Amino acid sequence: MKCLGVAFAVEARKAAASQVFRTITWLLLAGLGVLSGSLVLAVQAGNEQVAGQLGPLGALDGWPLLIGAVMQIAAAGGLLAFGVAVSWIVAREFADGTITGLFALPIRRSTIAVAKLAVFLVWAVMVALGLTVTTGLLGVLLGYGLPTYESGFALLRLFVLSVFTALSAAPAGWAATRGRGILPGIAATIVILVIAQVGVLSGLGGWALFGAPALWAMTPGAVTPVQLLPTLLASAAFAGATAVAWNRLQLDR
Amino acid sequence: MDDVGGLRADQVRRRLGDTLALDGVSLAVEPGQVHALVGLNGAGKTTLLRVLLGMLSVDSGSVTLGGVALSGVEPAAWAGVGHTLETAFAYPELDVRQNLEIAARLRLVGSDRIDGMVEWSLSAFELGAYAGVAARRLSQGNRQRVGLAAALQHAPGTVVLDEPSNALDPAGVLLLRETLLRRRDDGAAILVSSHHLDEVARIADRITLMNRGRVIGSLDPDTLDLERSFFSAVHADDEARR
Repeated sequence: MKCLGVAFAVEARKAAASQVFRTITWLLLAGLGVLSGSLVLAVQAGNEQVAGQLGPLGALDGWPLLIGAVMQIAAAGGLLAFGVAVSWIVAREFADGTITGLFALPIRRSTIAVAKLAVFLVWAVMVALGLTVTTGLLGVLLGYGLPTYESGFALLRLFVLSVFTALSAAPAGWAATRGRGILPGIAATIVILVIAQVGVLSGLGGWALFGAPALWAMTPGAVTPVQLLPTLLASAAFAGATAVAWNRLQLDR
Repeated sequence: MDDVGGLRADQVRRRLGDTLALDGVSLAVEPGQVHALVGLNGAGKTTLLRVLLGMLSVDSGSVTLGGVALSGVEPAAWAGVGHTLETAFAYPELDVRQNLEIAARLRLVGSDRIDGMVEWSLSAFELGAYAGVAARRLSQGNRQRVGLAAALQHAPGTVVLDEPSNALDPAGVLLLRETLLRRRDDGAAILVSSHHLDEVARIADRITLMNRGRVIGSLDPDTLDLERSFFSAVHADDEARR
């Protein structure tokens, strides 16, 4: 546990100083706020083209419209952002050439990998919280008043969806390790996005791997909590595979 | 050969792609010695260092640290090793002090000792003026100094350095030499790969010569014309393999 604590502290310090994490955080918070706010204002102004693009959401108003728009954007855009972040935290050691300094240490490389993923998760939870608070503030600013019980529950689902989206990016960390670079991680993120979209479009509904959390967040009655398990298990499996890959890492390329 | 400590490779073979990068290499890095590894580019020096540090497994043969096969070495044993290979261990977004602190933490140095250790590093490698400067803003030579300080500040009993004088200015070379000789006098086992024969002659107690994946002999550090002896040995090996 001491080793994990030390590795976590080291990784947290690196992440706190990193421009990449700062940029992604602001892009997610400010970008999603501006984008969803603009969409909502466009729908409210009677822009039928935007309302049409939002599908059933376009017929809504107030909190449901705002939170639904944020959820739609966060599920896809958030996954890309989280995928870049997890790929970077894992693969930067290869890009910066610091990977050789992580060998021949009293801390196992698998422990370092777990610490990296733990720092990513803690950051993702903070971003999810920030996103939820930003959406709440945006709703108040748009004149929807304080959230009701129903819209409060929707905000909670937005928080859970954001955390699940971050967890869904776990395979990108594994791909970045296997490919020794950030690009394979980003490619894996796109594959996750495609799997989620195809799963939902092909009628798998709540059983759509990586797609179930977004479906649950937007239509909670359509997905049971058990149906979120495959996404959770797949993420855990890829996190474990990342730790194993770091443990077996060979600098043979 | 006795397994009295330090690092040892015995009959190590390792293939990288179609190339036999190491072909039956044996080498012992003994406590209280600076052991220099010299050879032309592609001779297998860095590959051997990677094998010794556990970055590459062997196809056959064995590598031991303190008499224990690397596969069985307890992680804690690596706390007594310091190394730098290819790129200096310095994160660009962190300043010099933070980088040195991180290097100490990763070797499980106690929190109460880290400040003193970092101060020693800043002084020994004349990095005090750059303590608060982000590593990305350092010259290549100063980054190399940070990497060397990170590898040596915890007074390791076993030291492995790949081309440590690369990018260093003459003052940096002098600081490195003094630090390595002090570590050797304290009983450390030191392995240094280098292209700089003059520098090797100044610090090495033993010089092992590699060519095309094999150890082809040793050179006496006191040899008057080390360069001539080096090329003669390499040429003779090339001729013998024709």
